[in-house]
Amino acid sequence: MSALLEIENLTKSFGGVHAVRSCTFSVPEGQVTGLIGPNGAGKSTVVDLVSGFGQPDSGSVTFAGQPLAGKRPDVISRLGLIRTFQTPREWRNLTVMDNVLLARRRFASESLWRSLTRARRIRREEEADRAAVRDILERFQLAELRNELAVRLSGGQKRLLEFARIAAAEARLIILDEPMGGVNPVLGARIGEAVRQFAAEGRAVVVVEHNLPFIENTCHQVVVMDLGEVIAQGPFSGLRDNPRVVDAYLGMDQSHE
Amino acid sequence: MYWVSVITEAGIFAILALGLDVIWGWGGDFDLAFYGYLALGSYLTFVLTIGKPTPPVQYILGFHLPVLLSILLAVVVVVGLAAVIGAIALRNLRDIYFAVTTLGAVSALYLLVENYTPLFDGYNGVYGLINPGQTALNLTYNGYRIVFLGVVLVLLVLAYLLVQRLSRSPFGRMLRAVREDERAAAAYGRPVFGAKYRAYLFGAALAGLTGGLFAIFISAFNPSAWTPQELLVIYAAILVGGRGNPRGVILGVFVVYIGFIELTRYLPSPASRPDFAPAARQILIGLMIILMLRFRPEGLFRERPGLDRGPVPPAPAAAPASQRAAALPGLTSEERARREGDASKAARRRAGKTERVGKTE
Amino acid sequence: MTTFFVSIGIGLSTAAILSLSAVAFTLEYAVSRIANFAHGEFLTIGAYAAYSGQTIFHQNVAAAAVIAAAAGAAAGLALNFGLIEQFRGRSAITVFIATLGVAIIVENVLIIIYGAANVTYGFGQGKLHHVGPFLWTTSDIEVIISALAVAGIIYLLLQRTRFGKAVRAISQDRALAQVSGIPARRIIMQTWALAGAVAGFAGFVLADTVGTFGPTLGFGFLLLTITATVAGGLGRPYATFGGALIVGLAIQIAGTYTSSAYQLVFAFLLLVLLMLFRPNGVFVRRSAVAVRA
Repeated sequence: MSALLEIENLTKSFGGVHAVRSCTFSVPEGQVTGLIGPNGAGKSTVVDLVSGFGQPDSGSVTFAGQPLAGKRPDVISRLGLIRTFQTPREWRNLTVMDNVLLARRRFASESLWRSLTRARRIRREEEADRAAVRDILERFQLAELRNELAVRLSGGQKRLLEFARIAAAEARLIILDEPMGGVNPVLGARIGEAVRQFAAEGRAVVVVEHNLPFIENTCHQVVVMDLGEVIAQGPFSGLRDNPRVVDAYLGMDQSHE
Repeated sequence: MYWVSVITEAGIFAILALGLDVIWGWGGDFDLAFYGYLALGSYLTFVLTIGKPTPPVQYILGFHLPVLLSILLAVVVVVGLAAVIGAIALRNLRDIYFAVTTLGAVSALYLLVENYTPLFDGYNGVYGLINPGQTALNLTYNGYRIVFLGVVLVLLVLAYLLVQRLSRSPFGRMLRAVREDERAAAAYGRPVFGAKYRAYLFGAALAGLTGGLFAIFISAFNPSAWTPQELLVIYAAILVGGRGNPRGVILGVFVVYIGFIELTRYLPSPASRPDFAPAARQILIGLMIILMLRFRPEGLFRERPGLDRGPVPPAPAAAPASQRAAALPGLTSEERARREGDASKAARRRAGKTERVGKTE
Repeated sequence: MTTFFVSIGIGLSTAAILSLSAVAFTLEYAVSRIANFAHGEFLTIGAYAAYSGQTIFHQNVAAAAVIAAAAGAAAGLALNFGLIEQFRGRSAITVFIATLGVAIIVENVLIIIYGAANVTYGFGQGKLHHVGPFLWTTSDIEVIISALAVAGIIYLLLQRTRFGKAVRAISQDRALAQVSGIPARRIIMQTWALAGAVAGFAGFVLADTVGTFGPTLGFGFLLLTITATVAGGLGRPYATFGGALIVGLAIQIAGTYTSSAYQLVFAFLLLVLLMLFRPNGVFVRRSAVAVRA
């Protein structure tokens, strides 16, 4: 299993604050990698730096052998990387269907010229995508709502919409930023299933989370950060015996004992 | 003949509004430079068609090209100007910063035109393009005006079809996604600047075209025809008719433009106050903008997304047992129909009165 | 060399008026987070109020100034109640467009009341004085002194009073200020009255300096005001004086070496440049808003 994403000595400061310090870890394909750590550990900053929503001060990020340094977020996304944001962001005044269709990312058909001159052909080609999206929507129980504006969905449905979009995107690397935020256990189980499904399809998944039971149930390996540095890596079971991890999480580990 | 004139002008502004709607309604950019593109299109159409100036009148160029060619060239130049302004303003600026920057750019342009007389004869402006081709087509003055009305309406229909097609296309969808949430759009690989830029150039092209039409229509153009008022009327029309809805926009223009002109025509203008009627009209426009923004910002006709009419896939009854455990249990068709209805109802109820919500308002 | 300093002198005088308008604008922005496109109308209203007041107070400049300020304050309050509060929670650009609507309404109401033609005060400009290398009329000196006085008053208000502290708190974080017990609505109202008063006074001063004026007085000055505010940094009252100084001097110098007609062209190009490279003010280094994509 080769490492799809290699992060080496990533460093970023904001003003005087070292948000990320010499961060190094790798993310293999076909597995779910957890990224955990107390608040302020630098997890979201790492995600931003990897996905292009910020530039590192030093260090490198390599995705499928390609360096990502200095690339814009939309360019990085086109290489096959999809990320979510901590609050679910849907395109509110577009329909559910459009929201997921956009994830299919058929950039060629979005040229202004071609949209005008080849409208009929584009519509035909889009049918295949639409059928695939309807299947995905069905999987996430959103098919009945496909013509509703996304803004009208409930919070849980918006989360599912986010996963439908990720499923439709067929990305090589998926980064989920706190997908379990404010999620009830039933929805949480569905999300866990979806995450495992992505990995089973051969994609690499990174999950940034505070919910440790979720991490334990879904992740093959876990990276632990504290104060901007990586303090441990490995399967979840090994972490409990790691004194540095226990230290950092003192009082936060509620699922055991 | 009065009505021919009014409807022609409304038609020209409707095409203009369609262009602006692409930039503002779909793209979300409040562009204050837009009327400048019409002005430049007008000026250029003149100086390319009416031949050399006779002193003391002065302006640049002064060719004697056929009017259609002039309009085409004018559009090209206008798009060039928009390319410059757009590249500056759209790359890093949004909302108020973008609006003020475009205002600064177009104000600088306006002052340049007004003061640097070699360009377009400053405050006097250019004039003399009276019914180009009238004699060639063997028409009377009125006959030409009627034919011109027909041409404008045909162009309006064409513009409408074009814009409507674009609206339902992947480009339109992408542009709206960028408007709704730039970060998410970038996270899904969309070029935010590229999308807005293309929309900007497209809108400016339409503005340049209407500039040419306007030149033929009023046969003269000077800085007094180029005031912020005109642009506000167009924005008001889009607000009333419906942002992002091409049909609504056209209707908005006709309602605001014709409705207002007719309404205020019957206002008394006391002899001591000849400015009363036009001022009253402007006040109504201002009130209209404020009221629409406050109570119905999406306009009379909401932006209507293309609906998906495909068949919903059957319940996964045939799926293997393990997958079924992963997804929720399958549904019978009655349950499905009921769920679809319930889901829609629940969603609508949740949305409450406001049909369209979002950061654009 | 004398021309240069005379130029600077005129530039300072312009900067003084500009700073009054700009500090009012920036106060409005600081406390309500909106760019008030009807701001120019505060100036116009002040100018016309002083004009109407002339029928009562004739050549009394001080009375005219007071009337102008009072009218401006009233306008500020009216706008706050009638518009800003109505549009609370809406996006900044929406409120911006709404203030644009207000600007049109006010301008045309003034046209109806006073007519579109220019009017004039008829106060004298006073004698010319040599103040060091500068050449100023009595009016110019009065303007500069009053600008400095207003600057001083605002400084004292913001730094030394509880009101000022509340304004600064609200400008940084309204919700936090409210939670800390600050009566946000009242303070905001008072700030708008203050900003309106300063703007009304600025309008009177501007009209007096320019000589004749019409209903478009304030609107025409608005873009310059915005330029000065942006140069200083939106929402930063002290820096705004610096911004007004920069803009006032820059356009005056440019106008001397090219031609005065192009002064404003230069000013607007300056605005565009500022927006591109220093949208947070000349004194701050950070770029604005959009996603890099």
